[in-house]
Amino acid sequence: MTFFVARRLLYLLPVLIAVSLLTFSIASLLPGDLAYTILGDQATPENVAALRHDMGLDQPIWWRYLSWLGNVLQGDFGRSFRTGQTVLQAVAERLPVSIELMLLAQLGALGIGVPLAIICAARSGGPFDRFMTGTAFGMLSVPTFLSAILLIYFFAVELRWLPATGYVPFAEDPLANLRFMVLPALTLALAEWPTIMRVLRSDMIATLQEDYIALAKAKGLTPARILFVHALKPSSLTLVTITGINIGRLIGGAVIVETIFALPGIGRLLIGAILTRDLIILQGVVLLVGAGFVIMNFIVDMLYAVLDPRIRHGHA
Amino acid sequence: MKAAIRSSALARIFLVAGFGVALSAMPASAQKAGGSITVGLELDIPGFDPLKVGVYDTAALTASSAIFDTLTYLDANGKPQPKLALSWSSSEDFKTWTFKLRPGVKFHDGTPFNAEAYKANFDRQKDPVNKCRCAFYISNINNVQAPDELTLVYNLKDPSVNFPSLVSYASQNSAVHSPTAWKTKGDDYNRNPVGTGPYILKSWTAGDRMILEKNPDYWDKDKVNFDRITLKPLPDAQSRFASLQSGEVDLVWDDEYSADNIQKAQKDSKLTVHTYAGSGAAVYAMNTKTPPFDDVRVRQALVMALDRKKMSQAITNGLARPASNPYGEGSWVKCKDDGALPEDLEKAKALIKDYGKPVEFKMLVTATPRGRTVGQVLQQLWKRAGANMEIEQVDQATIPPRAFMRQFQMTPWRIVDLADPDIQMYANFRTGSPVALANYSNPELDKLLDRARVTADQNKRIEDYCEITRLINKEAIWFWTFQNTYYAISSAKVKGLPKMYSGVIDVSRAWKE
Repeated sequence: MTFFVARRLLYLLPVLIAVSLLTFSIASLLPGDLAYTILGDQATPENVAALRHDMGLDQPIWWRYLSWLGNVLQGDFGRSFRTGQTVLQAVAERLPVSIELMLLAQLGALGIGVPLAIICAARSGGPFDRFMTGTAFGMLSVPTFLSAILLIYFFAVELRWLPATGYVPFAEDPLANLRFMVLPALTLALAEWPTIMRVLRSDMIATLQEDYIALAKAKGLTPARILFVHALKPSSLTLVTITGINIGRLIGGAVIVETIFALPGIGRLLIGAILTRDLIILQGVVLLVGAGFVIMNFIVDMLYAVLDPRIRHGHA
Repeated sequence: MKAAIRSSALARIFLVAGFGVALSAMPASAQKAGGSITVGLELDIPGFDPLKVGVYDTAALTASSAIFDTLTYLDANGKPQPKLALSWSSSEDFKTWTFKLRPGVKFHDGTPFNAEAYKANFDRQKDPVNKCRCAFYISNINNVQAPDELTLVYNLKDPSVNFPSLVSYASQNSAVHSPTAWKTKGDDYNRNPVGTGPYILKSWTAGDRMILEKNPDYWDKDKVNFDRITLKPLPDAQSRFASLQSGEVDLVWDDEYSADNIQKAQKDSKLTVHTYAGSGAAVYAMNTKTPPFDDVRVRQALVMALDRKKMSQAITNGLARPASNPYGEGSWVKCKDDGALPEDLEKAKALIKDYGKPVEFKMLVTATPRGRTVGQVLQQLWKRAGANMEIEQVDQATIPPRAFMRQFQMTPWRIVDLADPDIQMYANFRTGSPVALANYSNPELDKLLDRARVTADQNKRIEDYCEITRLINKEAIWFWTFQNTYYAISSAKVKGLPKMYSGVIDVSRAWKE
């Protein structure tokens, strides 16, 4: 197991370097010049040249990349030229909101998807299975912003049960925090549960045809025990992968959902940075999110190995 | 001209004895003190230090008009009234303006407000070392002097007849900050602003909410009603409006580009649509030093091919109001004849045919959904007349430098709402000005611009500005599409919102029924 972890960690390195390279090139690829952005109306050719020199923008790109990477490795991600906040400060303020949102969304998606998958697998081919498979397919094609607006319309404007926008930190008022989080998390969960259900359902149908399940049935175990104890764990390998990959999709969805529901999370920070061409914040956030995603995948790989010993021994 | 100036010698000195002038246009009896208001803004506020944020946007202005004071404010008739300045007067040539300041005013941190503090604000913005993006807007001012505690002297490079109106809203240049605060807080000052205004910043969670509380020592506290103002950035127009409908917020910023919400609110008795027809307009400049715009026929053809009504319908459900001159309904400049070219597609086609060569050019647009839409609509309109326009998308911050360096054929621009047309008209059209984007020179136009800025008689100035527009419209060096219009939607209970001059939503003296 130690060898397996070490080897996987080694794979991680080139990926992280690639992430940092891509992130850095954002600044060079995006239209517009940072010096122009900072100077605005004060941008005369001389002022721009002077500022570019001060910021090292006149250096070759590899030199800029290395010095940026050097700073990043020392924990210095830079400072927004608009607000004066450091990237780490800004991220630290916003990250808890996004993590909470993603956890709740993932829990919601699993809470909807897993039970439905089990029921569908148990009655595969039946009317409920066919109906749910169809619904899941339909839900996959509903864009996040549309479900967000519909949820706001019904639950906030018409019924007035939940707030349309806003946020209260969990530490300040846990109950209020959850009230604000329900709709955004549900929006994301609605986009995720179909994948979870479809994957788990087909894996479970395959598992239920295995010999040991027939044996369990022959021994007279209750259907519930067979489904939950004997079939669920071996069927959930793909589910773990999907859940891991979903984190990446959730980050993408969070950008939209946080904007619509006015949650002060990483997604909003990213959108704000893009709109104001705050490239320092943009670079820093994309790098941190990218690295987080890569590390998340690493953890999923590890979980895989725990769930199925064949994987860590390289037999699968 | 000299005689004209001399004859109005008396009118030249504007002296306002202001102790008795009420700050709110509403009758005092209708006001109700206490309670709080929650305002939904469209943007995150980046901060308040002009050195950092440069120019305040609409969201920052709502906050700054509660935290900061200015020398003057504009009353419901658009006339400047005393705020931190009690009275003012000008020199004969309108190049020196002297303000007498209100005594006994303190910043929220206890620092006394006086001429020295005001001067420090100005010097900080002006100092070239600070490279402030705010400096452009005070380039007409040579310096500010503080001869004594309560006297402030502005020395201008060029005459400005209506100067006290120009320092009337809490913009990056006119909001007065506590010098002690920015010196002691350094980089942190940006997010910890200190002014003399009716509200004090209590807390601010980035991206979430800003809470302002009533300043108990405010010099005009009887006119201030709410105990607390909560400002929330709600970037999505649909959910911002939903928050208003569901009662989570009391007032939201809005604009023509979410016309559906405005039209829905107009039919809803529980909501009030506040609108202000500003001065100024959305405008476009053609670089007359580059072909095909070096030929007046092409320029005129493009203007004649515009169908502003169709554009307004396509982009804003018809809410946007067509403009045929740069002044707008909210301006005191009203022209009987502004010389607008007729919208006439056939004539436009004929002019382009007459030009003889293919008309092809690039136009800068902002890389935003709004910029793209407007660009595409214009592209289609001009295609019908036989002109091929290519859209070049750039980010917002790139447009000013590209424009100043004349690296464009056609660029969008905006005439913002200032209380006096002079500053912008002079900068935009006087030969040699860095903002004279059309690269166009005409002694006749220069003469009119020079005269209008030193004439004290408003009627004569109106005549001059209308003559200026007739000239520009005839030469078609710039064209105007829509007048500036501003929107806020509130619960019907919110009262006492002043006119939204320059698009500023100032809730500092509003109240709820």
